[in-house]
Amino acid sequence: MSGEEEENAAELKIGDEFLKAKCLMNCEVSLILEHKYEQLQQSSDDAVNQVSQVFEKSLQYVKRFSRYKNPDAVRQVREILARYQLAEFELCVLGNLCPETVEEAIAMVPSIKTRGRAQDDEAIEKMLNDLSLIKKFE
Amino acid sequence: MFLKVQLAWNVIIAAENLKPGSLMLQRAILIRLLSDFSAKKATKDLGYFLAVTTLDKIGEGKVRQHTGDVLFPVVFSAVTFKMFKGEVLEGTVHKVLKHGVFMRIGPIENAYLSSSKMPGYEYVLGENPYFMNQKMPKIAKDVKVRVVVIGTKWMEAEREFQALVGLEGDYLGPISPSDM
Repeated sequence: MSGEEEENAAELKIGDEFLKAKCLMNCEVSLILEHKYEQLQQSSDDAVNQVSQVFEKSLQYVKRFSRYKNPDAVRQVREILARYQLAEFELCVLGNLCPETVEEAIAMVPSIKTRGRAQDDEAIEKMLNDLSLIKKFE
Repeated sequence: MFLKVQLAWNVIIAAENLKPGSLMLQRAILIRLLSDFSAKKATKDLGYFLAVTTLDKIGEGKVRQHTGDVLFPVVFSAVTFKMFKGEVLEGTVHKVLKHGVFMRIGPIENAYLSSSKMPGYEYVLGENPYFMNQKMPKIAKDVKVRVVVIGTKWMEAEREFQALVGLEGDYLGPISPSDM
């Protein structure tokens, strides 16, 4: 952590290096890891047996906690969220948890209401509607 | 949170593995990088190391004087997982004890949700013990729960994180199956 401030993701205090880092949604990680796993299965040696525990546990996790499975839908989710001037971290929390109401979205990512950016409730509502549409048509 | 990071490491190739042909060498470097990567497991700063996604650059090799091994600087991209205090996440309960439950969240096997951080819940003893509260579905083994991260601690010796999570906040708690 840089500076004296204590880490608090709710206020988007996660350290400058992470604020700039690219975050990934569970559904994106799921696509990456499943693709990796297929590659390993196809390679000649017994690479699949060498998969680390961290890899295996994470793959199980993202398969279980991905709201979107279809690669096109996953891409659209990021496109839609990217229109709302969110930090990478906020974008991914929203994509992972898919809140249903504005109130829930703010409870999950309190920082979208602070930092003087003032996303208004209407914008958040529209964002959530767009997300639920993707889910419906997936 | 899953992170996409770019890292610069040095990979050491033993002299006997230096066979002619650049493709063979590239393969040897990649194999060595992948095994170093999974052996590293995690770091305090970046969290758990999941997978290398691309090998972006292999620099000039440097011979190490006394061993004859060659050290190659490489740049690669990878996916990691790190929990942040205040972050809201979902996980699965895998063990229920009287004083709280253990959850799997990403690569973290034992995120601890203490009964003192489950306001309004009471422990119910039985063959399959669980925690219940009047309004919400019960918290039992294999139930998905949405939690907030209270704190994490890096344990250097095990190269693992300990995580404390809680339910104190709005919209936290067990997720009913219909929500997923």
